[in-house]
Amino acid sequence: MSDLNLQEVAQHALSLMRVQGFDAAQVVASRVAQEELNIAHNEPSLLRSTESQRLSLVGLVDARKASTELTDFGAAPLRDAIAALFTDARSAPQDEANAVSGGQQARIVQGPQASDPALLADKVRELLAFRQRETPRMMIDEGFASHTLARSHTVTSSGTELSCSLGFHSMSVFGTARDGKASSSFNYTGGACNDLAERASSEWFGIADMLRDTEQQIHTRPVGGKFVGEVVLTPMAVSDLLSWLQGQIGDVQLIAGSSLYRDRVGQAIASPLLSLRSRFDAPGVAALSADAFVAPPVEVLREGVLMTLTPSLYGSRKTGLRHVPTAADGWEIAAGEASRAQLVSAVARGALVGRLSMGMPASNGDFSGVIKNSFVIDGGVVGPALSETMISGNMAQMLRDVVGVSRERLDTGALLLPWLRVSGLHFS
Amino acid sequence: MNTASYRETRRHELRKSRMLMVDGNLVSNARTVEGGVSARVYEAGYWGFASTQGEGVPVEQIVDKASRNARDMARFGERTALALPGDSYRGEHVFRGRAPLSPKEAVERLAQLHAWCVQRYPGLKSTRFIAGDEHHTKRVSTSHGSEVLSSIQRALCYVTLIAEDERGAPVEVSETLSSKGHLGDLDWSLEALAPQIDSLHEHLQAKRHAVAARGGLHTVVMAAELAGMLAHEAMGHPCEADLVLGGAVTGDLVGQRVASELVTMVDIAHTYDGREVMIPVYADDEGTPARDAVLIRDGILTEFMSSRETAARLGVGATGSARAYNPHDEPLVRMRNTAILPGRDKLQDMIAGVDEGYLLMKTVNGQADSTTEFMFGISLAYEIRGGKLGHAIRDTTISGSAIKVLQSVDAVSDDMHWSCSGYCGKKQPMVVSMGGPALRARAHLGGE
Repeated sequence: MSDLNLQEVAQHALSLMRVQGFDAAQVVASRVAQEELNIAHNEPSLLRSTESQRLSLVGLVDARKASTELTDFGAAPLRDAIAALFTDARSAPQDEANAVSGGQQARIVQGPQASDPALLADKVRELLAFRQRETPRMMIDEGFASHTLARSHTVTSSGTELSCSLGFHSMSVFGTARDGKASSSFNYTGGACNDLAERASSEWFGIADMLRDTEQQIHTRPVGGKFVGEVVLTPMAVSDLLSWLQGQIGDVQLIAGSSLYRDRVGQAIASPLLSLRSRFDAPGVAALSADAFVAPPVEVLREGVLMTLTPSLYGSRKTGLRHVPTAADGWEIAAGEASRAQLVSAVARGALVGRLSMGMPASNGDFSGVIKNSFVIDGGVVGPALSETMISGNMAQMLRDVVGVSRERLDTGALLLPWLRVSGLHFS
Repeated sequence: MNTASYRETRRHELRKSRMLMVDGNLVSNARTVEGGVSARVYEAGYWGFASTQGEGVPVEQIVDKASRNARDMARFGERTALALPGDSYRGEHVFRGRAPLSPKEAVERLAQLHAWCVQRYPGLKSTRFIAGDEHHTKRVSTSHGSEVLSSIQRALCYVTLIAEDERGAPVEVSETLSSKGHLGDLDWSLEALAPQIDSLHEHLQAKRHAVAARGGLHTVVMAAELAGMLAHEAMGHPCEADLVLGGAVTGDLVGQRVASELVTMVDIAHTYDGREVMIPVYADDEGTPARDAVLIRDGILTEFMSSRETAARLGVGATGSARAYNPHDEPLVRMRNTAILPGRDKLQDMIAGVDEGYLLMKTVNGQADSTTEFMFGISLAYEIRGGKLGHAIRDTTISGSAIKVLQSVDAVSDDMHWSCSGYCGKKQPMVVSMGGPALRARAHLGGE
């Protein structure tokens, strides 16, 4: 990566915005270098090296706001972008909730700062060898091992200065298993870590389990009949539940007044078995918010009680709710006391759900979806893989109906999640 | 032309704008311009790719890095290089539409739409409008001799109305408009939208009293807005050659019946019925001349969409389907304009012919599978009883084996609806369009 001085770039852009006449401004200068070794159809296929850079500008004039991003840092494009931004901002409606961060200071250096191509190659070799040895019916359609170095420098007209150099490794595996003319559903997993050498490829991000499970999903059957049963959600499926909750406590739903939890802070909204908190220092995550605040640790659920909402600075000023900065990712649900096996053995009739394939849940939380990469559970015993099976329910109700949390958790960097047992789902 | 080594370079600029207005508040007012140069090289059976942004980096330097990356892959052992098929193409295809809308005009239009909704529908809980456009300009050169300048432009506008149901829970409905070009090419004026918003509001009122769908297998009439999604998700993805090579069940079904004889499905390259489609691809990002891929003809699976490499592996011709989303992406096999072609039936007759079932009108998103088992979310639908529409139903999901569902199609309407509002996801996002007529079939609905 070239030695572009991001601090100088950001400060220069900020000074130009001041000259342009903005009342307040935020500038992020960033540069990302990535080395990615790809697998296609069970073979190493492509080595990809990319370098990207970006200037993200937010400008306020007369309480009117606009933003722009450009990748050409040259004098003329920057001047033109700032002039256009000024026009855009002046065209925007006046909104006293608009503001930029002030007085924030941080310097983050985290994770591996240099790529090691030999390490990436070793990890790809390990993965392919594992597949061939342990799960030969599995076809890795796409996969990769990569290193990313994301550097950024953020400044605002109100004295915020944030510097970040975030390095991390990633692995991803996507594919299907095949036996003659029968094929499984596709399946995938992946995540980010700091030290890829620490473990064998198959031991990262549940890759071995995913490959083995998918081989067991070639031959499937429908669940048969309609009934109300229980599910054990794998961490991949738990992440859908988490995303819905995060949407409910974030800006858009809070501003629109359509959040189910707008007035529920301090009240129980979920099972007492559920506790959710941030892990903004996780691999691949920087503890900085998109609106240029340092993101301290935050606790969202404590034993089912909603501890906070998460409006941005704008959302906070718009709604009067307390501002809670959050990073782009980095969350964990606390481990429970039961083993995965115990969760399964407690299910009289239902399914072990690998993945929920569904549309966006309705505003009130209602959803229905096809359960993919899933197995029937009957009398506490995992049976055949399922096809053409749907479940329906309500996300808010599911949070309340969590009746078991596993002590094992899957760490994908951005998320550290357990398996959850949930009652009251409609199967069809 | 078949060669065992290959090189392409791409200069790619991506411009986007996006405005989000929630209850009259301009929550997002953003523009991005992203440019870059990339090179991809195929040597000795391996690929190398490199890209950069910023001024002053010679293309030769990027090509050299991509070549070194390809050679570096030799650490995995010697490999026989494939002879990559596909002709070359020289041409320029740039869409020239109306004058662009200024940011001020766009913001004023959003505010006008919000104010009109608030005044006209006092019972609304909230409004949400998104307006945006996206413009890709690509200049592709290849060692096969292709020199292509192409542009893909699309504009979209989402309208969402939110009310409360009888229990005070939020209920919402959305309408999406999209077109080729920028926001100046899309007719999203109040005059044009008012009748559609009126209709949307009527659906919202019906949905406030919606009943749950009965889960299980039902006769469904899928409005034309849904057929494109069915085409894309259900059989489009399983007909992408890389997924076929990965084990999709379609690999063994060429020449076999996979749908009713009423169904013909095509991934259109650039022209349909004498008119340029929404996402016209005359040559793909490998410089291959693009042609229509007829995936299903009269119910029979006929061919797949392919890149140069997947065509070589399958021993077929390349269809010009390799596309990259941003300047740092390598081309992958992607759909372009996937459609089920119209039939001869009338929508009203198709509904009248259902004794008990559902009319599915709007969808939110969908997913495909290598098994052809698909799903997509349904955000607006009504019961059909005795050939007439009944209650609205709550949000649900439709799913099934695409092959079983398409084989059950017994009516295809004579109209067609196109849209290009969403993104297709597959390692990279991608702008695509989808189209189709109304279909009547048997499919699985989620519900109690």
